[in-house]
Amino acid sequence: MRFSGLRVLREGLTGNKGWAPHWRDAEPKAQYDAIIIGGGGHGLSTAYYLAREHGLTNVAVLEKGYLGGGNVGRNTTIVRANYFLEGNSQFYSHSLKLWEGLEEELNYNVMHSQRGLINLFHSDGQRDAFARRGNAMINQGDDAVLLDREGVRRYLPYLDFDNVRFPVYGGLLHPRGGTARHDAVAWGYARGADRLGVDLIQRCEVTGIDIENGAVRGVQTTRGAIRAKKVAIVTAGRSGQVAAMAGMRLPIESHVLQAFVTEGLKPCIDHVVSFGMGHFYISQSDKGGLVFGGDLDFYASYAQRGNLPMAEHVMEAGMTLMPMIGKAKVLRSWGGIMDMTPDGSPIIDRTETEGLFVDCGWCYGGFKAVPGSGFALAHLMATGRPHASAERFRLDRFRTGRGLMDEEGTGAQHNLH
Amino acid sequence: MANLKSRTPCGDLLPLEIGSARLEETDPGHLTVLSELGREGALAAALSQAHGLDWPRPGRATGKEGNRCLWFGHREVLLAGPAPDAALSEKGAVTDVTDGWASVILSGPGAEDVLARLIPVDLRRPAFKMGHSARSLLQHMPVSITRIGADRFLLLAFRSMATTLVHDLKQAMEVVATRA
Amino acid sequence: MRIDCPNCGTRDRREFYYQGAAVALERPAPDAGAEVWDAYLHLRENPAGRTRDLWQHDGGCGVWLVVTRDTATHEIFEVTRASDVAEGAR
Repeated sequence: MRFSGLRVLREGLTGNKGWAPHWRDAEPKAQYDAIIIGGGGHGLSTAYYLAREHGLTNVAVLEKGYLGGGNVGRNTTIVRANYFLEGNSQFYSHSLKLWEGLEEELNYNVMHSQRGLINLFHSDGQRDAFARRGNAMINQGDDAVLLDREGVRRYLPYLDFDNVRFPVYGGLLHPRGGTARHDAVAWGYARGADRLGVDLIQRCEVTGIDIENGAVRGVQTTRGAIRAKKVAIVTAGRSGQVAAMAGMRLPIESHVLQAFVTEGLKPCIDHVVSFGMGHFYISQSDKGGLVFGGDLDFYASYAQRGNLPMAEHVMEAGMTLMPMIGKAKVLRSWGGIMDMTPDGSPIIDRTETEGLFVDCGWCYGGFKAVPGSGFALAHLMATGRPHASAERFRLDRFRTGRGLMDEEGTGAQHNLH
Repeated sequence: MANLKSRTPCGDLLPLEIGSARLEETDPGHLTVLSELGREGALAAALSQAHGLDWPRPGRATGKEGNRCLWFGHREVLLAGPAPDAALSEKGAVTDVTDGWASVILSGPGAEDVLARLIPVDLRRPAFKMGHSARSLLQHMPVSITRIGADRFLLLAFRSMATTLVHDLKQAMEVVATRA
Repeated sequence: MRIDCPNCGTRDRREFYYQGAAVALERPAPDAGAEVWDAYLHLRENPAGRTRDLWQHDGGCGVWLVVTRDTATHEIFEVTRASDVAEGAR
């Protein structure tokens, strides 16, 4: 089944009776060439690119709940490539290019909207830092425009420009930044992978990883044992538990990050606005709800809900920046479990166990990385070599200190990135 | 050098009287942090001998206006009033913080209600009696709070935050007055 | 979440600063080697359940605490002064 304008029109006129399920509800086979643990954005895109780019179709994605039920459905949907450090910048640049071709590639509307992202600054020192970041982005081949105060006012007239503590000095505009529809990305990759022959197995929890003579042989699950010589752990906040099944400890601490959405409003916020000093970022969804988030709750947690002090802090930050949203009613809030690394940058690497791979440590930047992460992990699993865009996402960088990518310069403290 | 005039932390922002609460600045005299080093009790004995003050246990204050000692944190107290006797330095760490803090007194029947809006600790009389002292936050500011009378509280905040301290207290006083 | 400070009594979570897993109490020797230091600085048990972490009562009395709590339910089981824990280990 292909989606097209004509098809949508015809189904609309005939009662939408012709749509078929997007993917099969596969039963686990006894053996696969590769197993992906985790049916979220990263796991599904890995399976898709394994099949699409490397012809590896005897692949299973094992998901203990339902597809896309984790962080890919619990974020603020921001897609950007505005990283500063070597290693991160080429990866996110590559990921954004994949985003830009994603809807055609998948024949699926992921509602990728490049509405532009503006990072605000509030002092001369911050202006210098953002000028430097903008230059790095341009050098990487991406786009960045340094806006002065009046430049920001043209885009975002509703900000409190003269706030006593955080007067708006300007902003760094990343025109190709924007948002996408979170669920649709997972569904699009799931459908794409399924069509190429990948088995997507839901309600199938991995309970053990079989290792013989230092090499992976398969996994134990709630639906029986499954053999495979290549297994990838792609489980975000739960990476620690799954890695423990292989006798590993990871450089990861899991933390909650909250986000909020208001009732639907008429269009008022046309961009993604990021207020770093207040740990606040906001955009408006196509349904009209204001979607915004803040900083981590700050202590290790697996509860997919946040605490009230952080909710209060986020609301205060929002009111500080744009008092006009004060009367909007918050409808819902949610929390995602972030796999925080000691340098704030991710890991896509093999492990000491032959055939066992990890893709984790996305901190709170995992959503925009979905295409790039899957692409790079699939490349690593299929060819045995890291993809050029993710060469520096090595697990051993923490032990050796070589190639650490600490964007915020806060040091080896998981919750500070 | 020019003859500089010293200014108090809150300057002409105070006093304020709004509704049934009054906020005024107070000069507590010398402020000295005392903290034990080594043998427990030695500094307490020296404090008692030199200034006639009991070493307050956690959550308490001893003495009276002009010669007071507030529990000020884990294993440390604040001597407010006299300049510290030289004998104290031999028994523990003695740090002059006189210029580091702003001191105000909030009083009146509305004082408890004002503080209830700002500080996440139960400061009502049954829970927080005369001579009780606490460290907590006033909005986002670290403060020390001591009940020094039936409806009188001594509040200490960092001097650099004095304007914010007054601003937040004033706002709460106005809200309480409106509700009265 | 409220934490029962041994000095101040039960206080709001906002008064406390989180300083990670309570591994800082087992700081390795300077010459312990890269593997040991890597484990100490970076690798974490990261349990979904009972854990021990370090908190400081920075908005209160300033004491360092070892808090035993559940990362899934946020229930707190035990709060001890870090200095007492360190002394007990000595």
